[in-house]
Amino acid sequence: MEFTTMGGLMVWGTLVGLDLATLAQVMIARPIVAGVVAGWIVGDAQSGLIVGAILELFAMEVLPFGAARYPDYGLGAVAAAATAAGAPDVFGIGIAVAVGLVIAYVGEMSIQFVRQRTTVDIQRHRDVIDSGDVRVIYRLHRRGILRDFGRAASLTAGGLILAVVVRATIPGTLTLRGAVVLSAVAIGIGLGTTFVSGVRVTRDARHGWIWLVSGLIAGTVWAVR
Amino acid sequence: MKRGLMAAMTRLFVFQGSMNHERLQGLGMAVAIEPLLRDLNGGRGGEAYRHAMGRAAGFFNTHPYLAGLAVGSIAKAEHEGVSSQQIDRLRAALKGPLGSLGDRIVWAGVLPAAAAIGLIVATRAHPFVAAATFLLLFNAVHVALRVWGLLAGWRTGLRVAEALRHPVLQAGLVASGPLAAVAIGFAIPVVAAWLTADFGEAAKWGTAGVAVATAIATRWLTPTFGAARLGILVLVVTLVLGWVW
Repeated sequence: MEFTTMGGLMVWGTLVGLDLATLAQVMIARPIVAGVVAGWIVGDAQSGLIVGAILELFAMEVLPFGAARYPDYGLGAVAAAATAAGAPDVFGIGIAVAVGLVIAYVGEMSIQFVRQRTTVDIQRHRDVIDSGDVRVIYRLHRRGILRDFGRAASLTAGGLILAVVVRATIPGTLTLRGAVVLSAVAIGIGLGTTFVSGVRVTRDARHGWIWLVSGLIAGTVWAVR
Repeated sequence: MKRGLMAAMTRLFVFQGSMNHERLQGLGMAVAIEPLLRDLNGGRGGEAYRHAMGRAAGFFNTHPYLAGLAVGSIAKAEHEGVSSQQIDRLRAALKGPLGSLGDRIVWAGVLPAAAAIGLIVATRAHPFVAAATFLLLFNAVHVALRVWGLLAGWRTGLRVAEALRHPVLQAGLVASGPLAAVAIGFAIPVVAAWLTADFGEAAKWGTAGVAVATAIATRWLTPTFGAARLGILVLVVTLVLGWVW
């Protein structure tokens, strides 16, 4: 991977990581967006879309209610797109999704670490905050954003290193059958996860099951026509 | 005050910048509301300003896209000279309803619906068209909620409940769930057909089998395990089996 490509992915990955909760939340952190742009940066937007779409199926499980914990699938999609780019057909997909899931999971833990550090920082300045000292409030808020910036940048770097290592080692050890099975398993888990998310969404909706089943029937007709 | 509202609006986009386990979004609330408090009696160095900032930085947790409604209404109440006890009650009263409303409309409605539509578009169009479709659909609602929330909160102040009864918001509450359900349902077979188009029959049935097993496992057997962990576990086992096989 060229230096400029790595640089582009670093910038994009950091923005994606920040967008998850800290900055804007315009949802560039969703895998379908993060994967496509990362794929385009490495010269293969189509592979980026495919791994992004599979990780999007996983990300459907995320209902970020309150201060819930959830995997950072956007950063996972950046690493997955870097892994899958240029791989022939199904060879890269399953492995790339596995890389993406590992980074997403590490991302989930890293968010907790960042929030814990911010909590300690705030606890140290409790009295000053309660007295309404605006400079201290601003400083602590900026530090929280900077911590997440550091998290996103280092996780992007970690994901890219993992992608380079995996690309250099694993694909050559797999048969075509093994690669297909790996891809099928990744897609299957994603589809199953999305179905369960659909069921969860129906809980609050009036006649929710009818809407979900109607969609399934219409989608099946559309897909087989 | 127009400049104050603009500044508050901008800052709402970093509302969760210092999310933490003690005050959750408290500091973000203080940062967002600050431009609207500058012209309280005594100005930036005044007692009213400092007390209001101290109150604003306390524990707060709600839906980030509807936080503007709380920011606007609390700032308005501070300007109207409402007592600190009443403002504390207003804060406490807004957290739950705004959180619940935002969760149902956005996280369980608009977000999965837009993502599912983006996935459906991905099966037929250029990658950037799919990503752009998702971003446009989602952010049309997202940005509208943020802008409306802040302005409505500022306009209504303590009477913020009037804003929560807005017919568009109520319609969104009713429609977003069914929309998400039908979009997800439609996306599943369409995306499955697209992603497995190059597979043989055995691999297609295998994919379906894994999907059913995953649905059973994540819905009934291990609902708290999470798809990411399940995916890592199963893919690593599959990889090892692939090497041995």
